Amino acid sequence: MNPDFLLGIASVAGVSMIIAAVRAIFVRDLLSAIILVGFVSLTASVLFFLMDAPDVAITEASIGAGISTVIFLWGRSKVREE
Amino acid sequence: MRTFIAFLLALYLVFFAAAAFESFGEPQGLGRIAEHYAAEGFEEVGAINLVTAVVVTYRGLDTLGEVSVLFTAASAVILLLSVFPLGKPANKPSSIVLLTMKVLPGPILLFGGYIIAHGHLTPGGGFPGGAVVASAALLVLLGCTQEVGFAKWLTFAESMAGFSFAMLGFWGLLKLGQFLNNSVLFLGIPGQLLSAGIIPLISAAIGVKVASELSGILVAYRCGGGKE
Amino acid sequence: MSLSLVLLLSSMGLLLTGLVGIMAKKHLLRIALAFTLASTGVNILLVWTGYLAGRKAPIIDASIEEIATVAVVDPVPQALVLTSIVIGVAVSALLVVVAVLTSRELGTADVRRMRNLKW
Repeated sequence: MNPDFLLGIASVAGVSMIIAAVRAIFVRDLLSAIILVGFVSLTASVLFFLMDAPDVAITEASIGAGISTVIFLWGRSKVREE
Repeated sequence: MRTFIAFLLALYLVFFAAAAFESFGEPQGLGRIAEHYAAEGFEEVGAINLVTAVVVTYRGLDTLGEVSVLFTAASAVILLLSVFPLGKPANKPSSIVLLTMKVLPGPILLFGGYIIAHGHLTPGGGFPGGAVVASAALLVLLGCTQEVGFAKWLTFAESMAGFSFAMLGFWGLLKLGQFLNNSVLFLGIPGQLLSAGIIPLISAAIGVKVASELSGILVAYRCGGGKE
Repeated sequence: MSLSLVLLLSSMGLLLTGLVGIMAKKHLLRIALAFTLASTGVNILLVWTGYLAGRKAPIIDASIEEIATVAVVDPVPQALVLTSIVIGVAVSALLVVVAVLTSRELGTADVRRMRNLKW
């Protein structure tokens, strides 16, 4: 593929990943933070694919955006706060 | 203020990591080991996907150790949740989830099985396929309200998969004097489904093990540690 | 800006964000979330060490015309990261369980209020 095109995709994915990660750390609502971390995993899988690592991209997409998000949602519903 | 101090500390740590990478320099070519894998792996192992070849045979002993780390973490979760049960599972799922859990798990299971079976030919293998199968189990668990039927088979499947992984390794040790030697079975024609020695068998074992451990964690979450 | 530099900078930024979150946040689940972010950053960094610009994925098929040693990227870091991701999700599941049980025991998930953990 065209290298400039790949560079564009990588820049968009990387910048949106960093913005989402910073938002996930500093946002007040825990539910938004969990969803943003799932989005970070999804963009990370795009970066893995751009680094010619398709195996890692499949794993990251199914685990990071699927199972990990559900684990944290479970924790949010069960954690006790006063 | 605390965030700023934490930022400075983290910057200090990351700076050290960056300095270490600076001394390595940008990679110019493959390392010696990777060069051997890329040049000889196709003939030695008969696998097209080099990543699966490295995971399963060349560094198979490490994978056995990593799978046991995974087993330790999963059994710690299940143990903690059965010693300190959290009460009954959540309320009734919505109709969207109920419809989705009837339609989607079949295709997802098929896709996961495809990824596991073609691990030596296309991107995939035991770890990604096991994760995909576990997400199908997750969908079933989200939709059910009472105890699921497949939960009691998970420990059996998990221990059988670990046992067969180790036994396939010892087969190579007994027959050719090398743990996890790939040539105990016929290598076949590279590119066919039944080729590459014991790689598909070990991929299947890893896939079953990863899937059953991740779904065991999710079952423990859903049911609060099984019987109360 | 080359592709390799963009990838390196984004992984370093993710690692930095995760470390700041681990050190600065007070809620136990948020610390676990920041741990997940940092481990994703480390995974991208590890795959980056094996990335060589202009080469192909380590799959030896008909699209590779030259000898494989000059045509594919390094498969060893990818194999390492593949297992590391799966172990990372199991470890973060354990972290979440410990956080939930701690919050149920002490009535709070805020690390500043866990006075009786000091010894």
